[in-house]
Amino acid sequence: MLFNSFEFFVFLPIVFVLYWFVLNKKLSIQNILLLLASYVFYGWWDIRFLSLIILSTILDYYVGQKIHNTEEPKKRKYWLWLSMGFNLGLLGFFKYFNFFIDSWISGFNSVGIEMDPFTLNIILPVGISFYTFQTMSYSLDIHKRKLTPTKDFVAFATFVAFFPQLVAGPIERASNLLPQFLRRRKFNFNIAADGLRQMLWGLFKKIIIADNCAPYVNEIFADYSNQSSGTLILGVIIFAFQIYADFSGYTDIAIGTARLFGFDFKRNFNFPYFSRNISEFWKKWHISLSSWLNDYLFTPLAIEFRNYRKHGIFTALFLTFLISGLWHGAGWNFIFWGGLHGLYYIPVIYSKKRFTSITTNKSTSKKEDFSFSDFPKIILTFLMVCLTYIFFRASTITDAFGYIKIIITEIPRWPAGVPYKSIFFIIIVMVTEWFQRGKEHGLQFNENSTVPVYLRWTIYLVLLLTILVFSGEQQEFIYFQF
Amino acid sequence: MSNYITEFEFLFREVLENEDIVLANETTAIDIDEWDSINHIYLVVEIEKHFNIKFSSSEILQWQNVGEMIDSVKAKKES
Repeated sequence: MLFNSFEFFVFLPIVFVLYWFVLNKKLSIQNILLLLASYVFYGWWDIRFLSLIILSTILDYYVGQKIHNTEEPKKRKYWLWLSMGFNLGLLGFFKYFNFFIDSWISGFNSVGIEMDPFTLNIILPVGISFYTFQTMSYSLDIHKRKLTPTKDFVAFATFVAFFPQLVAGPIERASNLLPQFLRRRKFNFNIAADGLRQMLWGLFKKIIIADNCAPYVNEIFADYSNQSSGTLILGVIIFAFQIYADFSGYTDIAIGTARLFGFDFKRNFNFPYFSRNISEFWKKWHISLSSWLNDYLFTPLAIEFRNYRKHGIFTALFLTFLISGLWHGAGWNFIFWGGLHGLYYIPVIYSKKRFTSITTNKSTSKKEDFSFSDFPKIILTFLMVCLTYIFFRASTITDAFGYIKIIITEIPRWPAGVPYKSIFFIIIVMVTEWFQRGKEHGLQFNENSTVPVYLRWTIYLVLLLTILVFSGEQQEFIYFQF
Repeated sequence: MSNYITEFEFLFREVLENEDIVLANETTAIDIDEWDSINHIYLVVEIEKHFNIKFSSSEILQWQNVGEMIDSVKAKKES
């Protein structure tokens, strides 16, 4: 079920009414409702793959107890590896099998050993990269003795499958989300109303910007060799806003939906295109994934390599970005995308005595001080990120290099078919978010805000009307494929 | 314990380049702006060097606050 679909707008109010007004007497019944609703939400897309989620849930629930109840380090490790092996095995088979086989065969072919192509027709189960990472963090945290496993199976199953964040995150940690299933939620009108505003803002970004930019970007990347360099430059810039509107829009809807049910998700985006350097960008973009990679991959690697000082830290960071690339997609272009981000850290790591990390979980809600001299840095960081997007969006690594070659070698001409309408809405959203950058989302008002009620409602109505009038053709969320 | 805290405070101030840092057993990375994942690695290296000890990776990954870090050092120095 898509957030931007008719089904969801029937599904959500039904679950909301049942949750707060019909089945509100007992916490366990509310949790069962959320679990069933989550399974319906996922099963709507493909009921067969629900079995994978259920299997992963049962295994990690059991493994969590086992790790906790075992003192012997070897046995604890054995149980942990069972969880890792199973979840990574699921990912490996459904997401990477064809990629590895393909790469293996072309490797042999390139050294003159002929092998027949062999791939399987595997459908990628939506959300698999997200829920496997979420359940793995549960086992890892118990193994590190940072978390006590729950004995409430329904709460755990709902934590794994909770519909607002099941298919594209935020990747929640058990330490934040699981306790919320174990205590009674209270309906708070102000939080729910702000959740609705956040959903509206997310829908606006998705339907007005992402869906309208998609056809333009698709056409350029599908036929890049016949485009002028000006068009190619504009194409990747528009893609940068498309993917931001798509993914941060999705996240706003997810967080807003959770708030309607009294849940508080961790922040996933913090206006990343206003970053002044690459490390700031990674603190603000897809925070739940970068903090996951930071805690479970970068930190253990960096600890292992710590005696090599800066070289060790750079190696750990570079490897983390390569894995991040592979997480996004089974293709060399994604690995290259990650590698390029890793390389961007060379000046950050080697030029300073001390520096900041790829991400922190610290609250960054206060409005940061910007000066006019920061704008060139913001634009430079954005352009660096755009360069990596060519690899991210192109179908193959060869296409990406072909795309860049045209940009470099041709004299730029004014781009063809400029999508003025999309650019107009992009400007509206970016200017709004610039002024709202100290808040959690673009449509949040302070509790003591002086914006009069009639003006607020005018804004909501204008946004809704714009969605109705200027909506692009419905597109799936980009991150569903990861 | 108080001695260890003082020595830790000295190391933290050195590595994180902030003279105002004051540590307690309950202090975590959330409380100190400069204490991020990369500086954490530098802290570990400096603590190992200062006390002339070596932690295992799993030991480091289990720490939840300054108190637990000090416990690890204490266990190694006083055993």
